[in-house]
Amino acid sequence: MTTTSEPPLQLTAGEQLVRPSTSLGVLSRPTGETGWKSWLFTVDHKRIGIMYGAAALLFLVVGGVEALLIRLQLAVPGGNVLSEDAYNQVFTMHGVTMVFLVIMPMAAAFANYLLPLQIGARDVAFPRLNAFSLWAFLAGGIFLNTSWLLGGAPDGGWFGYAPNSGLAYSPSHGMDFYALGLQITGIASLVSAVNLITTVLNMRAPGMTLFRMPVLTWMLLVVQFLLLFAIPVITVALFLLSFDRLFDANFFNVAAGADPLLWQHLFWIFGHPEVYILILPAFGIMSEVIPVFSRKPIFGYPFMVFSGIAIGFMGWGVWAHHMFTSGMGPVSVAAFSLSTMFIAVPTGVKILNWLATMWGGRLRFTTAMLYSVGAVAMFTIGGLSGVTHAISPADTQQTDTYYIVAHFHYVIFGGSLMGMLSGFYFWWPKAFGYKLNERLGKLGFWVLLIGFNLTFGPMHILGLQGMSRRIHSYAADSGFNLWNAVATAGAFVIAVGVLMLFWNIGLSRRRARGAPPIGPDPWDGRGLEWMTASPTPTHNFDREITVTRQDEFWHRKWGYDEDNKVVRVAAADDVAHDGSAADVHLPSPSYWPVVVALGLPFVAYGLIYNLWVTAIGALLILGGLYAWVFEPPDDPEAHGHDDGHAADPSGDAGNGETGGPSANGDGESANGDGESADGAGGRELVGSAAPGGPSAEAAEDRP
Amino acid sequence: MGPGRARRALRRLSLVLLAAAVALTAASCAAEHPLDTLTEAGPDAQEINDLFFPVLGVAIIVFFLVQGAIVYLAVRYRARRRAAAGSDGEADEDLYGDEEYPEQVHGNLRLELAWTIIPTILLTVISVFTLISLVELNRVSAAEEDLRVTVVGQQWWWEFQYHLDGDTSTPPDIVTANELVIPVRQQVPLEITSRDVIHSFWIPRLNGKRDAVPGRTHPWVIEADEAGRFMGQCTEFCGLSHAYMRMYTVALSAAEWRQWVEGQLADASPLAPGEPGYEGQEVFLANCANCHVVNGVTDTNLDGVPDGPGDYAGTGDFDAEPITSALLAGAAPNLTHFASRTTFAGSIFDLYEDRAERVPYLEASERGYLNRGDLEAWIRDAPERKANDADGARGMTAFPGLSDGEIDALVEYLTTLR
Repeated sequence: MTTTSEPPLQLTAGEQLVRPSTSLGVLSRPTGETGWKSWLFTVDHKRIGIMYGAAALLFLVVGGVEALLIRLQLAVPGGNVLSEDAYNQVFTMHGVTMVFLVIMPMAAAFANYLLPLQIGARDVAFPRLNAFSLWAFLAGGIFLNTSWLLGGAPDGGWFGYAPNSGLAYSPSHGMDFYALGLQITGIASLVSAVNLITTVLNMRAPGMTLFRMPVLTWMLLVVQFLLLFAIPVITVALFLLSFDRLFDANFFNVAAGADPLLWQHLFWIFGHPEVYILILPAFGIMSEVIPVFSRKPIFGYPFMVFSGIAIGFMGWGVWAHHMFTSGMGPVSVAAFSLSTMFIAVPTGVKILNWLATMWGGRLRFTTAMLYSVGAVAMFTIGGLSGVTHAISPADTQQTDTYYIVAHFHYVIFGGSLMGMLSGFYFWWPKAFGYKLNERLGKLGFWVLLIGFNLTFGPMHILGLQGMSRRIHSYAADSGFNLWNAVATAGAFVIAVGVLMLFWNIGLSRRRARGAPPIGPDPWDGRGLEWMTASPTPTHNFDREITVTRQDEFWHRKWGYDEDNKVVRVAAADDVAHDGSAADVHLPSPSYWPVVVALGLPFVAYGLIYNLWVTAIGALLILGGLYAWVFEPPDDPEAHGHDDGHAADPSGDAGNGETGGPSANGDGESANGDGESADGAGGRELVGSAAPGGPSAEAAEDRP
Repeated sequence: MGPGRARRALRRLSLVLLAAAVALTAASCAAEHPLDTLTEAGPDAQEINDLFFPVLGVAIIVFFLVQGAIVYLAVRYRARRRAAAGSDGEADEDLYGDEEYPEQVHGNLRLELAWTIIPTILLTVISVFTLISLVELNRVSAAEEDLRVTVVGQQWWWEFQYHLDGDTSTPPDIVTANELVIPVRQQVPLEITSRDVIHSFWIPRLNGKRDAVPGRTHPWVIEADEAGRFMGQCTEFCGLSHAYMRMYTVALSAAEWRQWVEGQLADASPLAPGEPGYEGQEVFLANCANCHVVNGVTDTNLDGVPDGPGDYAGTGDFDAEPITSALLAGAAPNLTHFASRTTFAGSIFDLYEDRAERVPYLEASERGYLNRGDLEAWIRDAPERKANDADGARGMTAFPGLSDGEIDALVEYLTTLR
């Protein structure tokens, strides 16, 4: 077996880049590895990933409280917990929050933290852009939620159908916050997508060919492409809506000749790929967790990868199944009905491959495994109910009823969220150096699973019995009383399950103090992320890793004896890097991503309230970008550091990240061996890799 | 607690839960479900369910196969504690730190192809039936000159404009609200539109839903196999009182339906002083006639609009002259035969307390017992009963200035509008 590890982007080493010795009049780069500033100005993909995850969990609480309010309102007929107006705001923000501020950033957390580790890279391609996407997302999320305090949250549904989202029918500023807030989070997603695509395509370790990448990396890559093409569509739609509301542009004004179905098409051309943006990362996580705890490689790797790609492609051809009753002609309905049905095929392939991975395995039901298997089971239910409304005649009965609410919660909660919770339990020791408590975790899983089914299972029945979505009240004689009461009870069981997760984090953190370190590889993992110390050192890997096959790390630990039995060939601690390398230079932190991101909500507030505020935001953005561009690459004096090369060979001029003194905890020594380990693309590239062999010893780290 | 006892307790718990679930399901089936999609009463709903149930059946089979496989795999292949490690209980590390690996299988092309091709075939079969069903549902058997109804959604009630000769280009013969009265076993083509935002017309026991989109007219049909009163609910989110936008379709025998039509075709005539309801009529003309039409009283030229300068020119015609109505959408329910209906305010209140179900539909106004409480409360302060942003001209305003006597008179007048 020979490997081609010809890197896709060949950079000429030694080409000198003129590095400005002064900072051109702007601030030098921030330093320091501890304290809040080190988090605020960090460009480290791991810290950014952790902050994405923390923000997602925070917004999960916000969206969860909104969910509980909805369920309280609907617990009994004629509920009066919320007014009609408040109810519309709460359900709108529940949807917006859970989709844009919980599941998407949670996926971004895993993408940021794991993707560079899984491909053996130092960082993402554009570390400062990465920081910017985090802060832009956070700015957008906070901006959206400030609407609660500024005269009312969005009230037109997360789907914001025109003309109900127009000024005449939604006169509060809520829908302005919706349009502008999602615009800001959209910028974050788009920037992140470009960054991660570049990272995967250009920064893989030697030998890490595309078809050696872990399934999670693959799914994340597909998702970034979906984002790259889907976000512009919603951007256009949101601009039209904003222009309508702010400047009377008449894009959706029926009286002026508009067709409101334009919004629906734009929204769902984004909105349906969005569903796969939400679910594919979880599919990737499940494809990592199930093999590890089944002690088998993923079954049918090429099928897992290609089914993910197929879903990504087919996801673009099914949007109008959200519109079967909107008045499209029968030919359109038929076409989208069929395409929707057949997207079940690649999805089914995935489910069966997970089951086949478990088949004949040695299953270890850790919390992570429970969540992954639970996600397979719950997603299957969502997938099957999906087929029952892919048949468009039936959908005319089911659409906009609780049957659909049940369906997509089984997909997004049962599939995406549970998959990501699996990821939390699985990679927590990698990120923080201690495991979450397994006993509490398992208990929490069962509580969550039972609560989930108690809440959303009955909604299938409610929907078929004719209960509409988005109604703040139902009549006592509609026959909906029983199952609504059950669903509300279930929602509180879910709340207990979520609280148990937070309790677990607190408890495990406390117990971990003074406990012995967890070691690099607590689960007997397979991917490269387990091949370095836990928590991951700032520089990720001590040495560049040459990859010779899938599951490289696993193959370095395990080999086969003459009977083809798996036998240990090396201890994980011996194979994994211990994180002691002190000669790695990393991109310096930067002030400017957060400054530029801060400008965005100013622009948005200004568009709503006063254009002068927009000018302040624009100044922040322009000034921030100016400083960003002319920022000194690093501050050699700060550490008295001799870099070992006169100028960085990376040539990563587009980003301006040209390496610098180590920003990691122990990095003040010289970069003696001349190996460029710059996360920003300065990796010194090798022309060929050692030929791969079946045994673990064959591959050595590059000296 | 030992693992054995825990498992027994778990099994007992799951049995109890299962029994509870079965009991709850049975209880819920026994209850009344006026919006139930599964108990069809018309050929279209029947067609849909004939497609849905087999697909649901297949889905349930696949559900049991997959969930069964998960449970089987979890039990069969679960790593078990070794004898040595088993004694000291729950230390996961003891269990998971072992060196035992099963046979490493990377995949199987035949299996992969099988579970790609088999679902494809299954879905192809389903899609053929779906297409057949779609064709069936789009077939209009009604003739050109048969009854045709324009259905107009508005925040938050429905208007029905009857074209008895099937010609929707001419002004409607009958304009009514909230209750679509149709002859039984006759397909009635509908043309669905909206005056403001998007709504969705849905009578679940008769047919699926169809959106009412402003500026567009969507064809749909409705047909009932049996006489009866079938509830509906707007299902496209349409703002504040989306939940309070309900409607009924009432199917009458052919003879009764003709009787109903005769009654609706008659215009009201202005009451003379001294006639019962005259005072109420005066209150009506002073307070209500700016939005509500009573044919022959507030709209003497019968153009469907309250008399006055500039006229509301009918649905869908957005280039029409300026709207005189105080309402954003330009129309309020036509009240010419208000008392002949059994519900009001977007069908959220019964006009005749509970008795609508027991009294034949056509006799409700004579034999029903007026729901005076809700009606008076509604007239006095509609936004209190149904959120409607009256200030933004989207719904009925409150009339705090009306005295109790005036409201009594108004109610009396309304009951004369049969």
